[in-house]
Amino acid sequence: MTRLFERRLTPLDSPLAIFTTTTTAFLAAMLVTSFLFLSYGASPFQAYFALFHEPFATLRGFGYALVRASPLALIALGTIVSWRSGFMYLGFEGSFVIGAAATGWLALLTAPGSRVGPLPFFLFLPLAISLAFAAAGIWAGLVGLVRARLGGNEVLISLMSNYVAIFILQYLVSGPMRAPGSLPETPLFPRATWLPFILHGTRAHAGILIAIIAAGLVWMLLQKMPLGYEMIVTGFNPFAARYAGIDVGRRLVLAAFFAGGLGGLAGMVEVLGAQHRLMDGISGGVGFVGIIVALLARLNPLAVIPTAFLYGGMSVGADAMQRRASIPSSITFILESLAVLFVLAFDALRYYKVNLSVLWRRSPPPVAEQVSK
Amino acid sequence: MNHAPPPSVAVPVVTHKATDAEKFTDKVSIRNLSFYYGAHKALKDINISLYQGKVTAFIGPSGCGKSTLLRILNRMYDLYPNQRADGEVIFEGENILSPKQDLNLLRARIGMVFQKPTPFPMSIYENIAFGIRLYEKLPRAELDDRVETSLRRAALWEEVKDKLTSNGLSLSGGQQQRLCIARTVAIKPEVILFDEPCSALDPISTAKIEELIDELKSDYTIVIVTHKLAEIMECADRVTVMRDGRVVATRTIDSTGEQELTQLMVGREVNLRADKSAQKPGAPVLQIKELRVEDETGREKVRGLSLEVHAGEILGVAGVDGNGQSELAEAVLQLRKIKSGQVFLNGIDVTGLSVARTRAAGISYVPADRRHVGSVTQMSVADNAILGSQKKYAWGLFRSISGARKSAESLVTRFGIRSSGIDLAAGKLSGGNLQKLILGREIVRGSAALIVEHPTRGLDVGAIESVWSELLQARQEGKAILLISAELDELLNLADRIAVMFEGRIMAVVEPAADSVEAIGLMMAGIPAGGTLTTAAAMKETRRDETL
Repeated sequence: MTRLFERRLTPLDSPLAIFTTTTTAFLAAMLVTSFLFLSYGASPFQAYFALFHEPFATLRGFGYALVRASPLALIALGTIVSWRSGFMYLGFEGSFVIGAAATGWLALLTAPGSRVGPLPFFLFLPLAISLAFAAAGIWAGLVGLVRARLGGNEVLISLMSNYVAIFILQYLVSGPMRAPGSLPETPLFPRATWLPFILHGTRAHAGILIAIIAAGLVWMLLQKMPLGYEMIVTGFNPFAARYAGIDVGRRLVLAAFFAGGLGGLAGMVEVLGAQHRLMDGISGGVGFVGIIVALLARLNPLAVIPTAFLYGGMSVGADAMQRRASIPSSITFILESLAVLFVLAFDALRYYKVNLSVLWRRSPPPVAEQVSK
Repeated sequence: MNHAPPPSVAVPVVTHKATDAEKFTDKVSIRNLSFYYGAHKALKDINISLYQGKVTAFIGPSGCGKSTLLRILNRMYDLYPNQRADGEVIFEGENILSPKQDLNLLRARIGMVFQKPTPFPMSIYENIAFGIRLYEKLPRAELDDRVETSLRRAALWEEVKDKLTSNGLSLSGGQQQRLCIARTVAIKPEVILFDEPCSALDPISTAKIEELIDELKSDYTIVIVTHKLAEIMECADRVTVMRDGRVVATRTIDSTGEQELTQLMVGREVNLRADKSAQKPGAPVLQIKELRVEDETGREKVRGLSLEVHAGEILGVAGVDGNGQSELAEAVLQLRKIKSGQVFLNGIDVTGLSVARTRAAGISYVPADRRHVGSVTQMSVADNAILGSQKKYAWGLFRSISGARKSAESLVTRFGIRSSGIDLAAGKLSGGNLQKLILGREIVRGSAALIVEHPTRGLDVGAIESVWSELLQARQEGKAILLISAELDELLNLADRIAVMFEGRIMAVVEPAADSVEAIGLMMAGIPAGGTLTTAAAMKETRRDETL
């Protein structure tokens, strides 16, 4: 019996097949979104031109795309480490905030006239990286500990811990760390603590370099180190991991620590590179978008940087599109969401063969499985 | 669409006693049934009848196809792609396998109780009423009535009548299983399928369920799948023994006994075909002393067991599945907590080390489940070749990828693993080749002791031969091998001594010889050598004496 969808005996998993399905999914998402542009009376071509021209063809937009891409890439890397170890961490909003808060505390400590006083940047940066990584890593590691020791559900706990972290930040910026003034935010960090700008005439900062180095390190961990091998085995099959003498609990806690740490770095990069102060609502959903970037990059650390850049660029282009073609920028959210949905759905094509001939065949379909009430 | 209950559903009239052989009428006839998981043929030309108002039991080692057969009877396999059945299953004149079959109606007429209790997360009352509402519209009073009858039928009413609104999941395991039986009975099926209904339950709940099955058989045609002989002797009328996807024999319960069934299960035809060289065993390498191990439910599965394996020797452990063999293997590897007793390797106490240290000390293990424990099917052959030795293939913080690949290449060559390269996902290897990969990996690690559990289960003849010769080769090299198997043929061909395990203890250690087959079969059924077949009570008495 030929069915419309027939399962393939072996899924297509060549790089070409993956590239083709992903590209087709993107094009399909763009095609569907075109109809939305039409409903605003705008030409889809013009709209897409506006969307892609600004971030990828103008220096200023390019810089902004890099600014948006840096935290996204770091969070995506955290997602990859934890998910491939079988730890479904979703608390990146929280670790982002914790990392940002720890960095902010350190930066304000080195402000001129405060207790510690100015630090040279080559001392301050490693200190900030370690502090942000450790603080957010421990924050997430606690969730790992609950899962490893007590069998708690990390999805729920990490999701809920986001709110706790956000409330902690709210307290800090409206209480002990608040700058004199009306807004709940800290004073501006001293100039010496800012990440250097790397492209003259743009806002692009060294955060993207940190993200690129982190991507290389994560790739090295997972591909080239016994520790990463053990984490991947744990993620695929905890029974086989235990059999192979791997301490599954410890690997989970470590995966959580790394994931949180990378989320914390994202927070640090954002406050030292772009915002230069702590404020309420600083994360703004980046902790979830980062997960989407990881999914689109198919949990491959090297694919994260281009994917994050594309994603960051699209959010920059969305604003340009709104200005130039007066199309609401929220259509970009629809485009981005459709892209994710389609990429995940088009994956089915690697597992199923579509027999279109079934559609034009005249014979009635088999009525085997009618649902009776 | 609102289905009226099938007309023939009303309680079948029982006109004969259970022993009245002449009046057996076919309820379900299975004709030339074959079943495929993808390319693997799991059932081969099954022909058998299930009789009206009888309990038919299917028994056989894990992977023999008995659960598969059960899943065909109510088309559970339809839920999975790539699975296909050939042949006919005639139920009341209709072929169940026909694509025209209404599956909902079929599953109402042929109910199923699963291995693990699966109550819905709702109240006890709703657990039962839910299914009824799917098929019938009953007024409230009648519904209440039906719920009560069903619960009474499942011998649960007295225990739950005052808390019908509390959650079904709040009941004990045994009660949950009876709730599932009540749920099945409530829809008034004609046939009830039980898939190892007691294997997740404690002995008292088990006894209750067995009693219940015995009572239910007057009204329903019952099929039960199990690997526990005692359960069958307790409640079945007929028993069909399966091995390797085939029906080996069918017996009425009065004409058979536990020892015959055991022999049928482990295989009678012993064919001494492996050429095993004579070899004097060396010093004791692996010593197990007074080991006691519990399973997840706290039942003691290994009960004061002692064994000694010498260098250059294969010690076979014979036994029907579920007598504590896998718990024994896992405990020696420290994968399972040891309650008391000790394990020595070359005279050094290794009890209570971590798994990694136990492996490093020199104990290798080939687990029974090669796809879910022994390998990581998503990872490449090269990555699987270092599983368990990942720390050895490293320079400092970094993996020695070339070292790992070299070792994979040499495994593939030395053990004749057919693979289209070492970058292939291990899950794509055939069962035999995957087993050779795992066995080879554990052999070349250079451990003094090797524990091998059901190494040839589900493999074809060619693969069995090569696994055997590798095991004999390892014996030649002076390894101490503990071979756990349910195949008598395998044990007699490979082992230097055979320890027969029953209910967590060693009944005796015997020499492998063609004329010891009968004695081993008896001991696997719990009857000590030289003992006579007595009633179950007397048997238990004998066992108790032995341990004192």
